[in-house]
Amino acid sequence: MSLDTPNEKPASKARSARKAPANKASAAAPPAPLKAFTDTLLTVLAGNLQARVPKELVGEGGEEMAHLLNQVLDNFASSEHRKHVAAQEIDQALDALISLVREGDLSRWNTTTEDPQLGPLLEGFGKVIETLRTFVREINEAALRLSSSANQVLAASTQHETSSTEQAAAIHETTATMEELKHASAQIAENAGSVARVAEETLGAARAGRGAIGEFIQAMQQIRSDGVAVADSIAKLSKRVERIGTVVEVIDEIADRSDLLALNAALEGSRAGEAGKGFSIVAAEMRRLAENVLDSTKEIKNLITEIREATAAAAGAAEASKSATESGEKLGAVAAQAVEGILAGVQETSDAARVINLATQQQRTATEQVVASMAEIEDVTRQTTQASKQATGAAAELTQLAARLAELIKRFKAD
Amino acid sequence: MAPDRAVAAQARPEQEFFCFRVGDLRFGVPSENVLEVFRAGLLTPLPRTPSFIMGVTGHRGEVLPVVDLLRFLSKGEARIGPRTRLFIGVTGSIVAGVVADTVLGLRRIPVSDILPPPLGGDAAAEHLLGVVQGSTTQDGINLLNFHKLLQTARQRAVAR
Repeated sequence: MSLDTPNEKPASKARSARKAPANKASAAAPPAPLKAFTDTLLTVLAGNLQARVPKELVGEGGEEMAHLLNQVLDNFASSEHRKHVAAQEIDQALDALISLVREGDLSRWNTTTEDPQLGPLLEGFGKVIETLRTFVREINEAALRLSSSANQVLAASTQHETSSTEQAAAIHETTATMEELKHASAQIAENAGSVARVAEETLGAARAGRGAIGEFIQAMQQIRSDGVAVADSIAKLSKRVERIGTVVEVIDEIADRSDLLALNAALEGSRAGEAGKGFSIVAAEMRRLAENVLDSTKEIKNLITEIREATAAAAGAAEASKSATESGEKLGAVAAQAVEGILAGVQETSDAARVINLATQQQRTATEQVVASMAEIEDVTRQTTQASKQATGAAAELTQLAARLAELIKRFKAD
Repeated sequence: MAPDRAVAAQARPEQEFFCFRVGDLRFGVPSENVLEVFRAGLLTPLPRTPSFIMGVTGHRGEVLPVVDLLRFLSKGEARIGPRTRLFIGVTGSIVAGVVADTVLGLRRIPVSDILPPPLGGDAAAEHLLGVVQGSTTQDGINLLNFHKLLQTARQRAVAR
């Protein structure tokens, strides 16, 4: 509109100028001075704005008119010139705008004007373009940053995805390990249980052994006291046997004397002849009895000797038995002590096995919980992996978008 | 004397002997030659007597010489122990003690069982009346001619 405005005025002026010759032509053929005006005006209308009414062709009186007309024509020519210049500047600005729009070239805006009417407009455009340039520069920079950030995000996301996958694998492995650990702890618990059972049995056996050793020691003491009694009895027996020996000696002596007496009686009887015959027979019988007694006492003496030897052997045996029972008691005491040690050790073993069993059961429970937790973690990690995959995809897309944005922004030349 | 009386008295003549053992030898002495038997006890050795006189012992107020038959017959040596017997033998005027290890007793031996002593035997044979066979060779008994034996002993003792 504003561009049209300068045209309007010359047009109306031209029209009015055209009107004037038309009015002059219609007014029939003008005289010669008028002809100069008409020709000049026609030439101007034809486009030669330099054409002027020559003052020599006008007559007197027409000089004033020519001078005025020439002034009008001068004004018209300068106006036309101004209009032309303005149109050129507008064209130049339009060209710049077109190239801006077509190629995004903001650098080509270098339009200046001296036209006071176009000046503010172009200045406004320039400001707008300057602003656009600033924007483009910033956007460019931002796009570059975005691109690098997007790349970083992509890299980070890829790395995250990788590490998440690795984590998933590690978690899977850990779960498997925990599963094995669970089985192992179950095995340990079972073994500890059997150890506890065996220890319990051993404990029972050792207790029985302790009881048996106690009985053994008692029996040994009994045997020892019995042995002492036996030794006493043997000593008494020995004394009595000695007494029997002295008695037998007396009997022996008497028998011997009887033997002699009977013998002498027999001799007396023999000397008495027939009368002493019966007496001799009785004496011989008596002598036989005495001999029998002597034989018996001899036998008794032999028996006493045997008994003496036997009692000596028995006394020795009793002594040996006493010392044997004493060492048996000592051994029994040592065995009892050993069994006490065994009992204590087995008790400790049993307790330890029970504790191990308990601990492994707790461990198994804990391991099961860990396995469950690991399953949850695995699930979460799977989701994380999924998410990180999506994030990687999104980051890749973002990188592409950033690249494209940078590409697009590159089309705008700011400098 | 006594044997003759005994033979005359019995249809189947017997003679009673006082039988004893000393060392390994068994002897029989006619019972009428034996007065008494007692324990040997302690003997008192006698100087300047033959070795077969073991010593003297007191008996009923008499001192009697004690003869060791084994030494006298050169058959060893008698030993006196707690059971050793001593019998008093008498023949004629001679009375002597004789050492015996064991007295077997008085035995009546049929005269027909008495075998004569071996002729031309050793020194012992000349003092034997005879020999009685036993069931074994050990059971055999030498029947001593006690009278002759004591006389010989006396002669030897005096000869010294």
